[in-house]
Amino acid sequence: MTAATAITAPGLAGPATAARPRIGREWTLALPLATFFAVFFVTPLLLLVAVSLYADAEMTRFGLDQYIRFFGDAFNLAVLGSTLLLGVKVTALTLLFGYPLAWLYTRSGPRMQSALILVIILPLLTSVVVRTFAWIVILGRDGIVNNLLLSLGLAETPLRLLYTEGGLVAALVQVQMPLMVLPLITTLSRLDPNLLDASAALGAGPWRGFLKVTLPLSLPGIVAGCLLTYAASVTAFITQSLVGGGQMLFMPQYIYQQTITLHNWPFAAAISIVFMVSVLGVVMLFNLLGRASKGYVHA
Amino acid sequence: MTLDRRQILAAGLTLGAMSLFPGMSWAQARKLVFATFTGSWEEAHRDVIVPHFRKATGNADIALDPMLSVDMIAKVSAAKANPPIDVMLMDPGPRLSVIGQDLAAPFPVDDSKNYKDLLPVAQLPEGPGIFFQAVGITYNPEKVKTPPTSWDDLWKPEYKGRVGITNMNSTLGTAFMVELAKTRGGSENDIEPAFAALKELQPNLGAVAPNPGALATLFQQGQIDISPGNFNAIQILRARGVPVEFAKPKTGTIAFLTTAHITKNSPNAKLAAALIESAMAPEVQTKLMQAPFYVIPTNSKVQMDGDIARMIAKDQEELKASFVFHDWSVINQNRAGWIERFNKEIKV
Repeated sequence: MTAATAITAPGLAGPATAARPRIGREWTLALPLATFFAVFFVTPLLLLVAVSLYADAEMTRFGLDQYIRFFGDAFNLAVLGSTLLLGVKVTALTLLFGYPLAWLYTRSGPRMQSALILVIILPLLTSVVVRTFAWIVILGRDGIVNNLLLSLGLAETPLRLLYTEGGLVAALVQVQMPLMVLPLITTLSRLDPNLLDASAALGAGPWRGFLKVTLPLSLPGIVAGCLLTYAASVTAFITQSLVGGGQMLFMPQYIYQQTITLHNWPFAAAISIVFMVSVLGVVMLFNLLGRASKGYVHA
Repeated sequence: MTLDRRQILAAGLTLGAMSLFPGMSWAQARKLVFATFTGSWEEAHRDVIVPHFRKATGNADIALDPMLSVDMIAKVSAAKANPPIDVMLMDPGPRLSVIGQDLAAPFPVDDSKNYKDLLPVAQLPEGPGIFFQAVGITYNPEKVKTPPTSWDDLWKPEYKGRVGITNMNSTLGTAFMVELAKTRGGSENDIEPAFAALKELQPNLGAVAPNPGALATLFQQGQIDISPGNFNAIQILRARGVPVEFAKPKTGTIAFLTTAHITKNSPNAKLAAALIESAMAPEVQTKLMQAPFYVIPTNSKVQMDGDIARMIAKDQEELKASFVFHDWSVINQNRAGWIERFNKEIKV
C-alpha cells in the first residue's frame, strides 16, 4: 500500500520536525517524484473511483449501486471486518514477539548485533512466495509441526493447521516481522541508556523503568512498525490465499475474484475503495496515537 | 458501430498513452506475442509448437507470454486498439467472453490445411480447439487402495478429512460443481444438487484450495489424498515422483476444449494464423501427446498411445464416447451467482 507507507513518515520523524527550516526553492527537488505520483498513482486512483461509480457490470450508466450492494449485504461487511481484524491480530502478535527481539538487539554487543540483523533481514531477501511455501511445508498434515506433535505423543491424528486462521496468522507474523522490528530498532537505539540508569537510581525497578521510560519513548517506533505491519498484512494477497486457502475470503481475494474471474469491474472498484478507505481509517487511528505519543515524549 | 462508455474510455486512454509515448504509435514489426498458459504448458509450447512455427515461417520472431486466460482478456480489453498479445489461448468460459466482447478475429478457415482434420467438436471458426483438457478423479495410490471409479467415491466415510476441492474461481472448480449437479439430477441451470452434495461432503473436506495449482501442492504435502483434478496437472506431479494417479469416473471424464484465437487488431494477424496452423498440425500434436507433455490432441489424424491411450482414450472414438462437455454459455450466465453462493456457504 503506497498510501499507507507514505503516511508513516510523520510517525517516524517525531520530534525531528519540530524546528522547521525556512522554505526556499528546495521544494522543486520533489517535483519529479510528485509528477510521477500524479501520473501513476493519483490518476489511476481517480479512474478507480470513476469505475466504481458505474451502476452495472457492463458499465453503461452511473449510480451508487455498487456501494449500496456492498453495504446492503452482511456477508460483505463480514469479509471486510474479518480482514481488518486479521490485521489487528497479526500486528499485535508481531509487536509482542518483535519488541523483545528489537530490545535484545540494542542491548547486544556488536558481533551479536550483526548476527541478529542478519536473522532479521534474511526473510526480506527471499520472496514472499518462497516464505509462504515454507509455511505450507511447516503446517501441512505431513508437515514439521504435525510430525513433531505425533512423535511426542501430543496428538493422535494430525491436526488441521494449514488453511486455518491460526495458521495464517502465524505465517503472516513471520513474513511481516522485519517491518515491525526494523523501526523498533531505530527508535530503541536512539534511546539514551542514561535515562534508564537514572530511573533505576531513583528507585524504579526494571518493570517500572520499562513501563515509564522505555515504552513511552519507543512509541513512535511502535506506531511506525504497527502501521507498516498492519497495511502489509491486510493486503497480503499471496500469503492469505496460499496459507488461508480457498474458503477463507479476505478483501484482496474478493477484489481479485470480482475483477479477474467475474469481470465485474465496477463492483471490484467499489470494494477496493471501501477497503482502501477502511485501511486508511485504521492508519489514521495509528497516526493519532503517534501524535499523542509525541506529546508524551516531550513531557 | 456503436460506442459504449467502456470503449470510449479505452480509446481515450490509448490516445493519451500514444501522445505521451509517440514511439508506440509507429513501432510495428514487433515480435509475434503468443500468450500461452503457465508452467508445463509454456514448456510444451516452446519446445514443440514454436520450432514448428519458426520452420514454417522462415524464422519469424516470436515471444511467449504465459498467463491465465482471464488475464489475457484483461490485458487485451484494456488496449483493444493496439493489443499487446497476438494469439490468445482460451478455456471454454473465457472463450465466450472473448467472442462476446469482440476481442478476437476469426481464424481464416478456408486457407487452412489442418483445420478440416480436427475433430468436429474442435472445428470452431472463431478460434479452433488445439487441445483438450480432462478432469477426473486424482488420488494418492499409497493411501487410496481401491482406485475410485465414480465421483460418489469422494463421499465415502473412509476419506474423512482427506478430500480436496478448489473454489469456483477456476474452470476446474466450476466444471466439478456442474458435473456434480448433472450426476445428481441437476444441470447447468440447476446447480442446487451440487451445493446440497457439497454440504454432505463437508466432513470429508480437508481443504478448499484457492486454485488448481494449490491442489497439487496439497497432494505433495500429504494434506489431501483424493480430489477432482486436471489430467495434465497430475502428469507433472507424477513426473516429479509424487504418488498420484488419475481415474476416469464412470459417468465420463469432464472435458473442455482449449481454443486459440487471433487477437482483433493484431498487427501480426498473418503470423498469428500461422502459429495456430502449427498448433493444429498432426506432427505437432503427436509430439505434444507423448511424454513428458501428455497433451490430449484435437487432430483426428493423431494416433493415441502411451499414457493418454491408457488413461484417457485409446482412440478418437473412445474419446468421443467418454468425454462429457458442459454448456459454458449457460454456465457463464449463472457463474457470478454461484461464486457468490460458494463464498457464503462453503466453510471448512
